[in-house]
Amino acid sequence: MISRAAVGYVRSQLAGHVRLFFHEPAADLIKGESIRFLSYVDAVSTKERCIVIPTDIPIPFEPDLPWTSEFNGTSVTLWNRIRKPDAEGWRGVPAEASPVWWVHDSGTVLPSWNLFGNILDLLTFGEEKRSSERDQHGRFDWKSSPRTKHGLLEVPTVNEAAALLVAALTSMSRSEPPALVLGDNILKPPVVVLSHDCDSLKGNDFTSQLIRLYRVIQPVTKGRWPKLSNLWWIARNATSPRRYYFDDATGLLDIERCFGATSTFYLLNGSGGRLGARSPIAEARRFADRVPSSWEVGMHYNYDTYLDRDKFAAQLGQLKQAIVQPIVSGRAHYLRFDPFRSFSFLREFGIYVDESSGWSDKVAYRNGLAGCFQAYDPESDVPLDIWEVPLAVMDDGLVGEFGADSITAIERHLQHLKCVGGAFTILFHPGNFANPEHPRTIGIYHEILKASRRVEADFCTARSLVDLVRK
Amino acid sequence: MDIGLLRPGEEQACLEIHNRLRRDRRSLAQWRWEFIENTYGKAPTPFVCARDGGRIIGTQAFIPIQMIDKVGVYWTAKSEATLIDFKYWGQHILEKMYEPLFHYAEEQDFTVIWGFTPAAKAYTQLPFEFPGKTEQLFLPFSSRMITSLVNKATGGSNSFLRAAAVRAGGSLVAALSSTRTALSSKKLPEGLEIRTMESADEQAGSVCERFVDQWGGATIYRDSRYLQWRLFENPYVRSVVKGIYEEDKLLGWVAFTIGDDGIGYLVDLLVACDTSRYTAGKLVGRLLLEAVLGARNMGATGIRSWRVNQHPFERLVASEAKKIGFYHVKRGYPVVLHNCPAGEKRPSTVSFDNWYVTRIYTEGALS
Repeated sequence: MISRAAVGYVRSQLAGHVRLFFHEPAADLIKGESIRFLSYVDAVSTKERCIVIPTDIPIPFEPDLPWTSEFNGTSVTLWNRIRKPDAEGWRGVPAEASPVWWVHDSGTVLPSWNLFGNILDLLTFGEEKRSSERDQHGRFDWKSSPRTKHGLLEVPTVNEAAALLVAALTSMSRSEPPALVLGDNILKPPVVVLSHDCDSLKGNDFTSQLIRLYRVIQPVTKGRWPKLSNLWWIARNATSPRRYYFDDATGLLDIERCFGATSTFYLLNGSGGRLGARSPIAEARRFADRVPSSWEVGMHYNYDTYLDRDKFAAQLGQLKQAIVQPIVSGRAHYLRFDPFRSFSFLREFGIYVDESSGWSDKVAYRNGLAGCFQAYDPESDVPLDIWEVPLAVMDDGLVGEFGADSITAIERHLQHLKCVGGAFTILFHPGNFANPEHPRTIGIYHEILKASRRVEADFCTARSLVDLVRK
Repeated sequence: MDIGLLRPGEEQACLEIHNRLRRDRRSLAQWRWEFIENTYGKAPTPFVCARDGGRIIGTQAFIPIQMIDKVGVYWTAKSEATLIDFKYWGQHILEKMYEPLFHYAEEQDFTVIWGFTPAAKAYTQLPFEFPGKTEQLFLPFSSRMITSLVNKATGGSNSFLRAAAVRAGGSLVAALSSTRTALSSKKLPEGLEIRTMESADEQAGSVCERFVDQWGGATIYRDSRYLQWRLFENPYVRSVVKGIYEEDKLLGWVAFTIGDDGIGYLVDLLVACDTSRYTAGKLVGRLLLEAVLGARNMGATGIRSWRVNQHPFERLVASEAKKIGFYHVKRGYPVVLHNCPAGEKRPSTVSFDNWYVTRIYTEGALS
């Protein structure tokens, strides 16, 4: 049984999303009486010109075979089909075989897929709830998602649902059947949300140098030639510690200026070591002093602070002492994040914007959303005052998955979001930006900015996006 | 054939002919920024179209730009958007498109019409002089810049051996440059401060006034309004603008950016230091270093700049640039110049060596 609170939650997330990515009339339409959330029985028995969304259809463990439909110059993907109602007078739009809507002669419009169930399930981490599989860092792997084998991880289903609703409502407000195209001046340009995890601002720390030394020797143990280039990286960062790390971070700031972009720098401090902070807090302070006011500085929650109040408080306290910017946003190092406990945990410390929900090695929409959503506490059945901006792309993951076609993949996502609306989130580390030690990612960030310009995207930080929707 | 000023509703067609003939992907917003939303703000827009059967087959425009000399600020016109459909070449359409623009220049009291063009031959039929040509200063950070420049020059048709030789040579010149850059002092002299501008500094216009007092000749009048439009609101790619200050007084600035080709571009450089305790050479060297390190940190493969004439400040910039590892290459486009009747009153327009002009975004874009 779905609670009224859950229905209100989905409705308010859709309204917030439309307010962010569509112009004013659309935002008004989605809040109006033309959309009703009902039980399936009540929905199919409604005989009025409105959209009826069933809220009591359960979500199967495996997504029911997906299908696609053309919409506004792109293709939308739907799954978990709602069968055509048995009663007379219902027809499929645009087609019976691959419908988006079931439309009754009376004007009632019923989604052909479990719109409500899919959105609620994805925004409340239903997949993680149903699976106990976790990796060595305690994270839910994308390979464990039931959407993986159907190729649905790359579908921003919440965005598509919102765009379909807006298109239908717009045409219905003119007494026309639900349209599969958005007219002029309805959709805002796509948004690109950039961020950088500053794991290391100096390249000469003991751990990094030791890893390079290991990389020299490691091939020898397998009878191969040593990778001597690592000796050069050791020497280079021993003599110029900030080169390609701190300097990369300032380069990121400058190149973003050139494209009219802003971003968030998540600073890692606290305990060190392989999984911890690689540079001292003084470097974080030094860099934060250079970050202009239009950019954001946030906290990169250290690996060992995961759900540990004392350690988290210590890291946050140290960061707050070092920098002048308020710390209200963050992302977990190694994306170590528990969707059921981390939100309320983070909120206790004043964090209200989080960017941890994503995968490091897969370009994907973990929550089926390119945008932001309010966290929901299923225990108390209430939304929390903390917002998630799910991560879609991480530098190494992008080039690992797509190699030379990385920019084509980025452009494909941006073009899709240009047709359905949304915010595409991208993480790039200083150290991967223009560092010859990591040649695969050199030039990629510049290409991403150029691709964003080609689709005429707007840029904003995760916090400014959330602040807009919180208003 | 119908030739005349831009009419309402023709913007999209003008953009399309540009994108078709230049194989470009310029957007309407970029086109409008350049020709409509510039600092001139007067109607009609000095943009001429040649139409055949209602279809636009050629364009020629002016971007009105203010310049300054010791006498004061005056308007000039920079020639832009010279395009003629290949099928109409040889029909003297360029001359016909310039006719209404020459009238326009006279009516608006423009002093001089100027520009840079690879198609100098077409301008020989028009009353233009060719007082010089642009040359290049460049500093490679890696052999990729040299490879990129050579590929541009040869159209990418290099044999394996030639490509290897270019790469090896590129590595060598990059290493020499980086040694010179590394040996340059990074220490900022006492009392000076370098700030990255988030928007144009209000003191910019006053720096230009002091510049022409100090160095003579004429230069583009970059007041804060002009800098805001050209550098900070450029829809192609904006610039990082670093100002050098002495006790809060702006002494000059350097603007640099990264082009779509991955090369860094020195967009603008200006110093007026008549009241400073430091020499112009010291300040110019320091600003050049900021641009070099800034472009390098942005991931550029190198940085390039123009060298246009023998203006004393231009000579100083070239000399300081060489000290930190720039090379000078005499390759570039001819300058075209037409003195209008209003220009006869201005001594600064007598010789092109009186001009100090920087790249400051040639067509709005860079590469």
